[in-house]
Amino acid sequence: MVLSKMAASVLQRCLAAAVKVKFVTPTFTVRRCLLSAAYTDTKLWEAREKDPQNLALLATFMDRTYERKLPVSSLTISRFVDNISSREEVDQAEYYLYKFRHSPNCWYLRDWTVHGWIRQCLKYGAREKALHTLKNKVQYGIFPDDFTFNLLIDSYIKTEDFRSACSVVEEVMLQEAFDLTSTQILSLYSLGSYLAAKPELSLSDERALGASLLIVGLEQDNTVGLSAQLLGNALLGKVEMLKGIHAVFKGMPLMWTHGYLGRALAIMERVAAASTDVRLSKDAVDCLNDVLHDLSSPSESDSESDSGGEDDKKETPDKKETTLDEDDEKEQSKLPHYVSRFKELSSELESKGKVDPAHFQTSVSALAKQGLAVAEQLDIEQYLDKVQAWEEERRNLIQREKEFREKAEQERQERLAARAAAKQA
Amino acid sequence: MVKKKRLRPIAEFARKVRAYRELKSQPTVSQKYGLDYETMIRPYTGKRLPVLAWQDVRKENHLFSLLAGMRLFGVGRLFTRKSWLFDHTEPSYWQITKVKVDYTAENMNYGRAWGLLTHKGKQETEVKEVDRVMYHDWRLVPKHEEHKFKNFEPLPEPPVRYVFYPPLLRAMILAQFRKEGRLGAEEPTLPLERDVVLNKDYFRMQEQEKQRKEGTAV
Repeated sequence: MVLSKMAASVLQRCLAAAVKVKFVTPTFTVRRCLLSAAYTDTKLWEAREKDPQNLALLATFMDRTYERKLPVSSLTISRFVDNISSREEVDQAEYYLYKFRHSPNCWYLRDWTVHGWIRQCLKYGAREKALHTLKNKVQYGIFPDDFTFNLLIDSYIKTEDFRSACSVVEEVMLQEAFDLTSTQILSLYSLGSYLAAKPELSLSDERALGASLLIVGLEQDNTVGLSAQLLGNALLGKVEMLKGIHAVFKGMPLMWTHGYLGRALAIMERVAAASTDVRLSKDAVDCLNDVLHDLSSPSESDSESDSGGEDDKKETPDKKETTLDEDDEKEQSKLPHYVSRFKELSSELESKGKVDPAHFQTSVSALAKQGLAVAEQLDIEQYLDKVQAWEEERRNLIQREKEFREKAEQERQERLAARAAAKQA
Repeated sequence: MVKKKRLRPIAEFARKVRAYRELKSQPTVSQKYGLDYETMIRPYTGKRLPVLAWQDVRKENHLFSLLAGMRLFGVGRLFTRKSWLFDHTEPSYWQITKVKVDYTAENMNYGRAWGLLTHKGKQETEVKEVDRVMYHDWRLVPKHEEHKFKNFEPLPEPPVRYVFYPPLLRAMILAQFRKEGRLGAEEPTLPLERDVVLNKDYFRMQEQEKQRKEGTAV
């Protein structure tokens, strides 16, 4: 409880000045959505050749195949997902996706099936279902590609549901799928908007946000990117100090070396020494300042409890408290050193004029305005090619299935004929 | 004399059927390596894990719990082990090429994987099955750190050390030198590392050399 309060107060202080963001630029954040209409258009997807199948027949067919412990082909499940026509069928499709994932053919779940599933969920208003299957990707096997992720994030941004948008961004981070510029811009936008609203964050939320910010920031090499990296490192450093490095990287694609706060300070140093016009957002610097301040002020009480905890650790090695190893304690002892270093670096940055007083959110919006159109164009072209490739593959699969059926039919006929001949003889 | 064994075709056939059934009824990977995290006992064998591993088992993941949450089950990604990180400074990692998941597991948490090993910076060329998949030791190398992780400066190999022969052997060797007329040669030394593969061919070559030098016995 103390930690969540601390987290809330940190972000309140760090983004106190950002309260007016929404009022300053109303038209951009509230009305217009980020991705253009051409991107989210369903025309191309609907224009594929239809393969009308009766869902009930497909369902019974799949049930029988599963009963007989035979593998279900990926074509069947893709047909099922393509032919969804109502909300209830979305639930049924979810069940069959689960069953497919737990069958021997789980590897062969096609990209277009996943894309189609997300599209259908968005069409029939089952966005929470899509998010639920995405969160439990282990159980449902939903690993969307970048374009699909963009669609989903954009739909959440349109409805201003930044919390869910951030959870989608977290999923993208877990897949490390920040290859497209459009994905990076969208995720930065949703993260910035979410943080601008100063929400109450638990430590695990902070860890997820910090990791997403860090990994997105590493792709971009400008003010926004570096500020995102700084913010990410600050949040992760805070989690590291409180819970140990292990709690930071478990389950996330993060590096296990200690010293996230040290890396944050290294970014500041790099920006201070850089010759190009790269700056750091004031929000990020303030956030790091608050993190350091919060960590050092209750550190006296923390160190007492830690020394008590250490004695316990020696007596009962498998006690389930937050026991930190020696490396983590070494990190904690570096904290005053970090604080002093931060003071030097921040004064250096201010003197060189490298601190950008604009809020993080506004700089992200500016970046979006510039870069999104170009990125979208590329994405749409790639999407066209991909859809054609998928159609090609689907046609091949259907062809193969037909040939297989014909061959099996032929063999059956031959066997029947042979049996009849043997009976006669 | 041993009596000739009677040929029993039915018994042979029964033996084959039994072997096949045993092969088929083997436990799945998820059953074999399932673990109860409270008591640290594997339910299939009933055995408990060694005590020194308990901390690792609680803290870290085994390979497939990382692979289950990744696109294409992490094919093409690099995975290290914590024990390698602590033991060697040079990077050692597996690059996964093929994965066969046990689909009966609820969390797709078990299976077998194949890949290319790079041990202490030296890459191997053949794809092998990943060893010790079920050890709670594995860590994913993040994409943005892959480059930094793979680059390392190989330490220069320490030079081969030479050591003096024991006194009797030294005397024998010097006597040999005197016979051949190689007096005044430098001190005979023994290299502490020899890169010879000791197999049949090597010993045969040695025998041939000796025979050539000494000639046939009189």
